[in-house]
Amino acid sequence: MTPTVLVIAETSGAAVAGPTQEAFGVARSLAGADGSVVAVTIGGPSAARSLALLGPKEIWVADVPPESITSGAVAILAAQAAEESRAEIALVGGTSFGRDLTGRLAVRWGAAAATGVTEVAIVRPGALRVRRPVFGGRATETRALTGPRAVIALRPHAFPEAPATGGAPPIHVLDPSLLSASKGGARRRSLAPAETGSGPSLADAAIVVAGGRGMRAAENFRLIEELARSLGAAVGASRAVTDAGWRPSSLQVGQTGRTVSPQLYIAVGISGAIQHLVGMVSSRTIVAINTDPGAPIFKVADYGIVGDALAIVPALTREIRRVRGLSET
Amino acid sequence: MEIVVLIKPVPESETRLRASPDGRRLDSEGVRFVLAGYDESAVEQALLLKENVPGSKVHAISFGPARCGEALRAAIALGADAATWIEAPPEGSDDPILAARALASALSSIPYDLLLGGKHAGDDEEGIVVGAVAELLGIPSFGSVTDVRPAGPSGLAFQRPTEAGIESWETSLPCAIGLQQAWNDPRTAKLPNILRSRKAPIAKVDWPTVAKALGSESSPRSLSEEFRLPAPRSGAKMIEFQTPEEAAEKLVRLLREEAKVFP
Repeated sequence: MTPTVLVIAETSGAAVAGPTQEAFGVARSLAGADGSVVAVTIGGPSAARSLALLGPKEIWVADVPPESITSGAVAILAAQAAEESRAEIALVGGTSFGRDLTGRLAVRWGAAAATGVTEVAIVRPGALRVRRPVFGGRATETRALTGPRAVIALRPHAFPEAPATGGAPPIHVLDPSLLSASKGGARRRSLAPAETGSGPSLADAAIVVAGGRGMRAAENFRLIEELARSLGAAVGASRAVTDAGWRPSSLQVGQTGRTVSPQLYIAVGISGAIQHLVGMVSSRTIVAINTDPGAPIFKVADYGIVGDALAIVPALTREIRRVRGLSET
Repeated sequence: MEIVVLIKPVPESETRLRASPDGRRLDSEGVRFVLAGYDESAVEQALLLKENVPGSKVHAISFGPARCGEALRAAIALGADAATWIEAPPEGSDDPILAARALASALSSIPYDLLLGGKHAGDDEEGIVVGAVAELLGIPSFGSVTDVRPAGPSGLAFQRPTEAGIESWETSLPCAIGLQQAWNDPRTAKLPNILRSRKAPIAKVDWPTVAKALGSESSPRSLSEEFRLPAPRSGAKMIEFQTPEEAAEKLVRLLREEAKVFP
């Protein structure tokens, strides 16, 4: 059993996206000792050079200007790389790019498809089994995918990033005229970059610190932000906070906001209504800080502190700065 | 503008989840199915465009078991002009690629300039169908879209929040969009419209017709094998402390040494 696994890489300039590095780790374990890992990028030569450090056996590269990157165009190029590499499995990271691509590529390449995958195994040649959270992480399902071909989008943060191994694989340039088959006149007009300096975005963050009504006033929310900064975490909020206008609705975690699944979720002054829980319950480790020992958040949390957030949070920030050797800033 | 909205009935969000007797899927016995959350936004977006582009029509279509009828009536009550139910195989199917093939096949006889769907459904959260339908029809597609507005004589402008920031796009028609949010919250149906929707005609494409059109592609290639609820979390390990400093120190130690979530 020697499968070839194609990683569809996402790059920004020469930087390989975290979810793509996670996909490399999964690809290596699926390929095993006898199979091989190959990769495709649409980010041009500099992206291909960065990708080479992750050790694929071969790389396919196209250079598509960012304003023309549509899922339709990427599906054409990725399917071509999949054909030329004789891949059986294509892996994409769990980004908005990856999710958009999955269905299109599966149709174009004649593959089965699954997204949000947290476990994947080859049962026998041409048959895969995947596991994925459903219903906002309130349940999981196992699905059998009938190959020989399958496109799998991984759930972000579900797998560790693969370490760089180095290498100088052959690089094949994909023919740009392939894209003449891409229909439609879609064009990206602008990109307003995500605010930087305020830490990672909610969707990407490995750690999220979220505040709720228990912060008692808008001005106290800076305590949440300081704790987040000490951890390199993103800031989230419950609906009570965004409805009160303490913080913008873009920070809202829950049924009507964002769903997050970081390694660590710290819920401060959040009671844990089901509408909030569905947005964060699949986080790996959950910490709850709340004055009410009967708050439902303690039922889903791994660690609980019953106490006043306004006293606990600053102490926690100081302790984290201490152990991480950070100065008070 | 001919607008087609792809909709899916999903269990309402307060449903108590449990596995079916064979353990393979959600037990749908006694579960109330409603329009999926993002599909509600897609219907809202369709109606907003209809109100802004004279001569537009909204056609809701749904692939699945008989309960699709309820979701389609909900769309009619909200203001959709027509509805079509595409029947799933009698043994059921939750393969999103098969759903896309069935929908695309039905769209060969339904006019469309714009296909709208939710960015994903709140049950399986696959988010595959809209892109797969677009690929089958050979039109562009975009997921996680917000704020779709008419642009120029026959185009659309919209935004797309991604990890890198908020992208602004313009596209010609036809195209397909997986919607995250319309520029309004979804409206609620008025009672007289709900009553009227109960008698509204729903066109049906039965499974044998779909299967014949799909030929060898009519078998699912993604099958649910097990539906599992997480073991109930045993509840939080509560940290005992005298001072906030002690609470902080104990928590950080647990996170580093036991949960191993940061170095």
